Amino acid sequence: MNLRILVFFAIGLLIFFLDIGFNSEQNSKDIYISDQELTSLLSAWKSQVGRPPSDEEIVSIINNFVQEEILYREALLLELDQEDRIIKRRLAQKITFLKQETIPDDPSQEELENFFDLNKDNYFVPATYSFSHHYFSKESNAKERAAKAFNGYKTNGTEIIGDPFFLGKNFYQNSANEIKKNFGELFFSTIENLSLNEWSGPHESVFGQHIILLKEVQNGFSPPLEKVLIKVQQDYLSQAQDKAIDEYINEIRSQYRVIINPDYKF
Amino acid sequence: MNKSFIGLVVVSTIFLIYATGFYTNFQTDSALEIVDFSIDQPETENAAPSNPDRIPLYGDLHVHTKYSFDAYIFGVTATPYDAYRYAKGEAIKHPLGFDMKLREPLDFYAVTDHGFYMGMIENYADTSSEMSKNEWTKPMHNLNRPENVTVDSLGARADLFSSVLTQAIVKPYPYWHPKVWKAWFTNNIQVALQSFDYDVHKSAWADVANAAEEFNKPGEFTTFIGYEFTTSTDVEGGNLHRNVIFNSSNAPIRPWTRIDSINPEDLWTWMDGLRDKGVDSLAMPHNSNGSNGQMFEVETFRGNPISIEYAEKRMRNEPVVEMTQVKGTSDTHPLLSPDDEWADFEIMDKRVGSRPPTYSMPQGGYVRDAYLRGLTLDWEGRGNPYKFGLIGSSDTHTGAGGFDEDNYWSKAGVLDGTDMGRGSVPLTPDRIEQLEEYAELYDQPISIQDIEGRTYADVGFDQWSASGLAVAWAEENTRDSIFQAFKRKETFATTGTRMAVRFFAGFDMQSIDLDSEDMVKNAYAKGVTMGADLFSQDNQTPQFLVWAQRDKLGAPLQRVQIIKGWVENASGTPKEKIYDVACSDGLTVDPITNRCPDNGAKVNINNCSISSDVGAVELKTTWVDPDFDPTIKAFYYVRVLENPTCRWSTWDALKAGVKPRPDLDETIQERAWSSPIWYIPKSSKLNIIPL
Repeated sequence: MNLRILVFFAIGLLIFFLDIGFNSEQNSKDIYISDQELTSLLSAWKSQVGRPPSDEEIVSIINNFVQEEILYREALLLELDQEDRIIKRRLAQKITFLKQETIPDDPSQEELENFFDLNKDNYFVPATYSFSHHYFSKESNAKERAAKAFNGYKTNGTEIIGDPFFLGKNFYQNSANEIKKNFGELFFSTIENLSLNEWSGPHESVFGQHIILLKEVQNGFSPPLEKVLIKVQQDYLSQAQDKAIDEYINEIRSQYRVIINPDYKF
Repeated sequence: MNKSFIGLVVVSTIFLIYATGFYTNFQTDSALEIVDFSIDQPETENAAPSNPDRIPLYGDLHVHTKYSFDAYIFGVTATPYDAYRYAKGEAIKHPLGFDMKLREPLDFYAVTDHGFYMGMIENYADTSSEMSKNEWTKPMHNLNRPENVTVDSLGARADLFSSVLTQAIVKPYPYWHPKVWKAWFTNNIQVALQSFDYDVHKSAWADVANAAEEFNKPGEFTTFIGYEFTTSTDVEGGNLHRNVIFNSSNAPIRPWTRIDSINPEDLWTWMDGLRDKGVDSLAMPHNSNGSNGQMFEVETFRGNPISIEYAEKRMRNEPVVEMTQVKGTSDTHPLLSPDDEWADFEIMDKRVGSRPPTYSMPQGGYVRDAYLRGLTLDWEGRGNPYKFGLIGSSDTHTGAGGFDEDNYWSKAGVLDGTDMGRGSVPLTPDRIEQLEEYAELYDQPISIQDIEGRTYADVGFDQWSASGLAVAWAEENTRDSIFQAFKRKETFATTGTRMAVRFFAGFDMQSIDLDSEDMVKNAYAKGVTMGADLFSQDNQTPQFLVWAQRDKLGAPLQRVQIIKGWVENASGTPKEKIYDVACSDGLTVDPITNRCPDNGAKVNINNCSISSDVGAVELKTTWVDPDFDPTIKAFYYVRVLENPTCRWSTWDALKAGVKPRPDLDETIQERAWSSPIWYIPKSSKLNIIPL
């Protein structure tokens, strides 16, 4: 009886020491840098700098890596990772990424079309206007000169010669905002109501009088899905990701109980 | 001698070196690490073809959000994303609850939060953060919860800004702390400070960069990743602040700050280092007016003589200067330019951030003086470090620049978000009591003043302005096109008005027909434009071409002036002269006085309306310098003046239904300044012995 207890005790002791042995093995101060790790370090460097690193630079890359690893391990030993707000956030972020990745990369055509129909307004392309103008500066008799020049053009086909305008003569595919920015609101409301390919005027702006030729109007339109496919795909994906996270949290939340001191004074 | 003692010696030496300012040319490797902040954006079709005659693009390159330590204390919670939305024309909220909205959207914008302690105050205020466990963060806990952002909190906030922060900030961890070693290993000294959390800092910077990337839309709207390098001299507290912007989605992993070095020359070394790695950037000094004359010194930071090498390094990194903003305009000072009738314009004569407000020496603090100093240094053979172009920006701390006199909220959030807080409207008894209580509580001088029987806040905000804008002549609205305009110095500054000005010089400008459609094209072909050098051609007299257009929503133009500066060859004496070159309403310049006659424009102070029948929509002319000497280096820049309009303080009074404060200017003349053109004579064989 006594002997058996002693044997068990001896075996127990052996296991205990073996355990210590193995554990110390795991706690060894080896830093093993795998081939993959090296490749990724070097290629990251190359992609940032645009050339492969020199020998000296390789040494410093590896040193940086080692330093980080050492500090990281020492910090773990000191349990600095415990109850750290940043680490918590980072881990929460990581699981978010994980969950986001679970959604299928390629939404079906039908899903995309549905999404596109629902959010058409986001892809609306605003109208643009292309036009030329002859400018008559308010500094020198704008109204009179403009009227005379335009009359001459209409009756005898005389070429209209105005003053140079600060921002030029020809404007190509300008949006409403650009026209308002360059000429003001009044001028834009004029442009909006002009008929195409026909000199018209004189029209007023804060700068003087303008005789305008509206050359082309591209009406605002909702582009077909193919034209904005990439953007729709991205928007769809980001919406799906948000949804996936919400669903995941809602699902798992019920398993948690939140306890807050009811007497806490906010 | 044991190990820990050696450690102690090593660490205290590091901090001694740092703290005593003997910190020389120290390059931290980690600040040179480059990160690609670009985000996936769908390809956009850029319809507008680029314009070889260039277009003026208006923007603001000096904007703070909640990530700036002071902005957060001023109650600001606007994010960089909010700031960009504002620039694109959306309304965002002022900390005091009202809407801030631009009259017209801007073409480009850069959020430039203070690099120093970026993101940290928000972290102190967040009671769930590690930092907030420190005793000294207590006054900042929940600082900007909505119920805490009130006018009443003004006193406490001012106190936080001036005292609490400075006491808490520069305290390192003890030498054995892992963070100290990390700081040492990574050459990142701020990591060793107890009040600093590098992860929070880095993520704030990444968010600033991400916002810029998200809103940058080539052809429509341009943003820059940027920050403010907020440094100052130890001596006399001279402000040496600069904004830094990057011309790419690639930017350093963290901003280089005054904790790395307080010497701007080290900033340039860092920028040169980044440029070697393919990341181009530029730094823009601002508020030279409040630098106590130290922004444009005639010696280096450490008091050595300026050299050609210094001049080249400075100009490589600082091609433009922000010369007008909320904290005043730095064109020139009445003491520096006694013959300039327009010199006394929005002068802010206090050192930036000084408490109590302290006078700032004008010499070396204004751009015209700097240009003259540059010529003088050049005359001495030391190179010209002050050959910069001009821009304006707002320096708003609410995310939203206020550029219009009639729609103004100053910049310091809760502190100056009300008319009474800005000192433009008399204080109510309640507010007087509040200010007196605050003075007693925090042991501060009482900041009220009596002017002609009324009591106003005495806080210095009355010297601040609804200014300014940066304008770039660019081929198209893209990041690179605008950035290159800054590098060429083809820029002008305005006080918030959207007027525009072209400026050319050459030897055949007068042959260009000012009424022809090809005028601009010809001017580019036959000469140089603003920001450039005009080299002598057989000692011919240069001819200048100026064309200014009014802001369609502002006041009409009154006159165009050319400001000339030069250094006399024989004596090295700096000189300046102002020529009116174009007058509104068909008036002509008096050849004796070089001035336009008064055009009679008036402002009705009772309702701020202006004369509707005087002033010009555009002014254009060619001009020849009547006092030209082909052997003398000179600079020429344009100043365009609008008809007078009400100043913001008058608008404040009008809206509040009280009389304008009698000691403030009732009206101002909004204006624009072009970058100079420098005339360079043939190199003379003359040997000058400096006296």
